[in-house]
Formats: sequence, structure tokens, C-alpha cells
Amino acid sequence: MQPLANVTPLKPPPRAGAIEVRNVGQVFRTRSQDVVALEDVSLDIKPGRFVVLVGPSGCGKSTLLMMMAGLRAQTAGTITINGAPIPQPDPDRVGVVFQEASLFPWLTAEDNVEFPLALRGVAKPERRAKAQDALKLVGLEGFGKRHPHELSGGMKQRVSIARGLVQDPPVLLMDEPFAALDEQTRMTMGDELLRIWAATGKTVVFVTHSLTEAVYLADEVIVMSPRPGRIVDQLQVSLPRPRTYEMLSGDAFGALRDRIWRHIRKSA
Amino acid sequence: MQATLTIKLARVAIVIAIFALWEMLSRTGVVNPRLLPSASDTLATLGDLLQRSSVRTDLLVTATEVLAAFALAVPMGALIGFLIAENRYFADVAKPLLFFAFSIPKSIFLPMFILVFGVGFAQKVGFGFFSTIFIVIMSTTTAVESVKVEHLTVARSYGATRAQTAFRVYLPSMLPVLLEALRISMIFNLTGVILAEMYASRDGIGHQIATWGENFQMKQLLAGVVMVAAIAMTFNELIRWVETRCSHWRT
Ligand SMILES: Nc1ncnc2c1ncn2[C@@H]1O[C@H](COP(=O)(O)OP(=O)(O)OP(=O)(O)O)[C@@H](O)[C@H]1O
Ligand SMILES: [Mg+2]
Repeated sequence: MQPLANVTPLKPPPRAGAIEVRNVGQVFRTRSQDVVALEDVSLDIKPGRFVVLVGPSGCGKSTLLMMMAGLRAQTAGTITINGAPIPQPDPDRVGVVFQEASLFPWLTAEDNVEFPLALRGVAKPERRAKAQDALKLVGLEGFGKRHPHELSGGMKQRVSIARGLVQDPPVLLMDEPFAALDEQTRMTMGDELLRIWAATGKTVVFVTHSLTEAVYLADEVIVMSPRPGRIVDQLQVSLPRPRTYEMLSGDAFGALRDRIWRHIRKSA
Repeated sequence: MQATLTIKLARVAIVIAIFALWEMLSRTGVVNPRLLPSASDTLATLGDLLQRSSVRTDLLVTATEVLAAFALAVPMGALIGFLIAENRYFADVAKPLLFFAFSIPKSIFLPMFILVFGVGFAQKVGFGFFSTIFIVIMSTTTAVESVKVEHLTVARSYGATRAQTAFRVYLPSMLPVLLEALRISMIFNLTGVILAEMYASRDGIGHQIATWGENFQMKQLLAGVVMVAAIAMTFNELIRWVETRCSHWRT
């Protein structure tokens, strides 16, 4: 390679973890009618940001996430991750964390975490080492040999996160990962997730129905409305980090949550 | 389902009690010993019978028929069941029909099998197959349906190939249901083959038992019953043992 002194490229290559959604639409053709799940959705997510999607049920949050993961093709528009389209799942670029039922009950926690690596034929010792690192990162060191039914709801979700992180993708997509957890566990898991996010610098897109959780976690909250699904507001959350429990009762926090709630009440 | 020691002892005690009662009823003449030979006589006869080469041949014949019927019915039933479960159209068409077929007592078809195949190996294997395949199809359908969509999505999101999805998601998800299906299929299979042997056959243990019954050889008849029961239970327990080892994660 020739050193290109004093030459700056016209457009810098996107940093790992950038997500661009351009005029994306999704129409489901069912027997009785066509359902417009999403219409003309555009989003620009900078690397390392923590973005939360909220909106009433059926506004297309999961659909949008599935398309970002390459699990479903959009019917209009383009989506790029790291500057390239994602026509099918690409675990090098995107890790997905599902609800707690998504762990394989017949595998131990560490085998669950190793699953993505096993699919690619990574050798056992390397696999095990990476799984141990991921389990350590989510605070589950020493629980690797347990099966999911021997773990609490919060621990299972940690395993899911570890599985999403094990290949070190720049983007982590999470669809209501804490929905099945009780309130207290949920708060703790939120803090844990923020710690992991700060430690790894990943871009996170997180779907939730809890407005408190949304504001507490996010750099930016995207509010969507249904029929057809679209974006109605984008709020920057400028509360300092690390976030603390005391912020929940502050005025700034309340104002943000009220603003989201007004949108949702209008559209639901 | 861990049985404690006392529970296990209680079970053994009940079995012993049944044999003791049997022995007593016969010895004291409360029940005519010609109708009910004592337990000890029956077990002694069983020992004798097992020495006889004709009985061993009969057992071998039956075992061969059972295994042949099983080896035909299980893969074919599993394949059909899988196709039905994976194909919406197939499922819509075939499922109610299968339920109808399953509800019919299979024994009423036995005379037809004799007419078609004649008396012999083919008739017995054919009937065993026929008695088994519906339960295999239905269990396989259930097994495929027990695979969770979430798990398939997870596999897809990590780029699993079709083969990887089959072996790493479908198979382990289905295994507990499949093993159970195998066990229950064997019960149906054994019933089918032995019924066919008792109804019309020249050999096989079912035929022997029927003959002993007709000739009023009660000792031999009871010994035959104990023998077949023991074989069936052994097989059943074997698969149940594998089942508990493979499905410890199912709670
Ligand atoms: N496979 C599908 N076929 C037809 N319609 C679908 C399909 N998947 C989703 N939809 C429709 O698309 C719309 C968006 O669904 P989606 O699951 O993305 O909503 P969501 O915002 O995630 O809702 P929730 O908050 O309840 O999870 C809904 O109207 C839904 O009925
Ligand atoms: Mg959803």
C-alpha cells in the first residue's frame, strides 16, 4: 500500500457500529389485507450510542429490529450496518438478545454462550475461553455449568446477553430483554447493562415498554406510533452518566418521560 | 421424580405381596389350582420353557417380527409426521384424517391382513406396522411442534445452516418427545404382532400362548404371560432410563 500523505478521503469510512435506516417500509401481505407495519422510517445511529425504541404495541418496533438484524427483509428503503447492507444475519456485525425463553434449555449456560462460536467451528478451548470471558463480563463467573432451569430470570437474561456479546459484534440489538423480569431485577439488570455497555462501547438498540427504563438507559429515545408504524419523536437524554436511582425523581427525568407519554397516549 | 428408598421398598413389597397372594390362593384351594396354578409352579414352568428350543425359536420369531415392524414403522412414520408438521397444506389435509384413523381399533383389520398376506411373517409384520405407524406419525408431529420458534430465530440470527439447525435445535428439542414416542410405539407394536400371532399363525410366542390356552395348559399359559410381560417391561424401562438421562433439562 502506498502511503497517501495529505490525502483525506472525501467520505470517511463509517466507524464500526454505525446504523443507517433510510426510508424503510415494511408491508405484511396477509390473506385478508396488507398490513403496513412500517412506513418511511429513517434513523441515523452513531457508533457507541444507546438508543431506545418505545411505542404502543404493534407500532413495528420488533419488525424494525428484525430488519436491522437481517432476520427479515424490508419491503422499501435501505438499512446499513457499518456502511454495508444486511441482507441476512451477520453475527460479526450484529448480536441479538431475545427474551429469556430464547436460551436452549438442554445446554448449560456456557454451552449456550458458546453456541454462536460452535456454529462457526471455533475450536473448543478457544470457545470455552471466550464464553468464560463473556460470562465474567455479565457477572456470572462460576455459573457456567448450570442449566437454564437452575438459574433465576435475571441470570438467564445475563446468559442471553453474554451469548449476544461472545462474538464481540459492534452492534447489540435487544427486543424487550427484561420484559419477563420483576421490577427490582429489572432495575439491577438495567444498571448491569449500562456497565457492560460502558465497558464495551457497543452500539445498543433496545426496545422496551417501560418509559422509565427508556429514559434511564438511553442517550436517545425514539418514539414510534402505529398504523402505519413511523417515528413521531426523537428525544436526546442529556442526563449525566453514570445514571443513578435518584435521577428517577428529578424534574428533567419527569419532563422527558411525560413528553414520551403524551405521544403514546395520542397514538394508542 | 426421584423415588426415595421407602417408596422403592413399598413397590417391591407390593409385587411380593401379589405373588404371595397368588401362591396362597392356589395352595389353599380358594381358587381351583387347575385354573390358577401357584406362582412357584408357574415360575418353575417358565424356567423349563426357557430351556426348550421350540420356545426359544418362538421367541426369536416374535422378536424378529417385532423388530422388522418397528424398523419399518418408525422411520416411515417419523418421515410422514415430519412432512405433515413442516407443511401447512399437508397438515390441514392430513391431520383430521389421521385422528380418524387413529381412533379405529386396529384389530378389526386383522382378517383383511390374513386375506392379503396369507398366514405368516408378512401378515404379522404388516399388522405390527399398521398398529404402530399412526402413533409414530402423531408423536412426530407433536415433537416437531414442540420446537420453539424463538430457538429457531436464535439459530438463524447466529447464521446456522440448515444442517446445524436440524442437529443443534430440532433434534435436541424433539428428543424427549421422540423417546417417549418410541416407547409407546413399541407397546402398540408388540400388541399388534402378538395379536396377529394369537389370531392366526404357525409360530411365535403369541401363537404358543394361544395354543396353551386352547389346550388348557394353565401352567404354560401363565408362564408365557409372565415371560411376555417381563420382556415388554424391560424394553419399556430401558427407554425410560434413556429418557430421563436425555431430558433432565425438562422440568
Ligand atoms: N409475520 C407477520 N405477518 C403479518 N403481520 C405482522 C407480522 N409480524 C408483525 N405484523 C404486524 O406488524 C405490526 C408491527 O408488529 P411488531 O411486532 O413489529 O410490533 P411491536 O411494536 O414489536 O409490538 P409489541 O410492542 O407488541 O411487541 C403489527 O400490526 C403486527 O400485527
Ligand atoms: Mg415486539
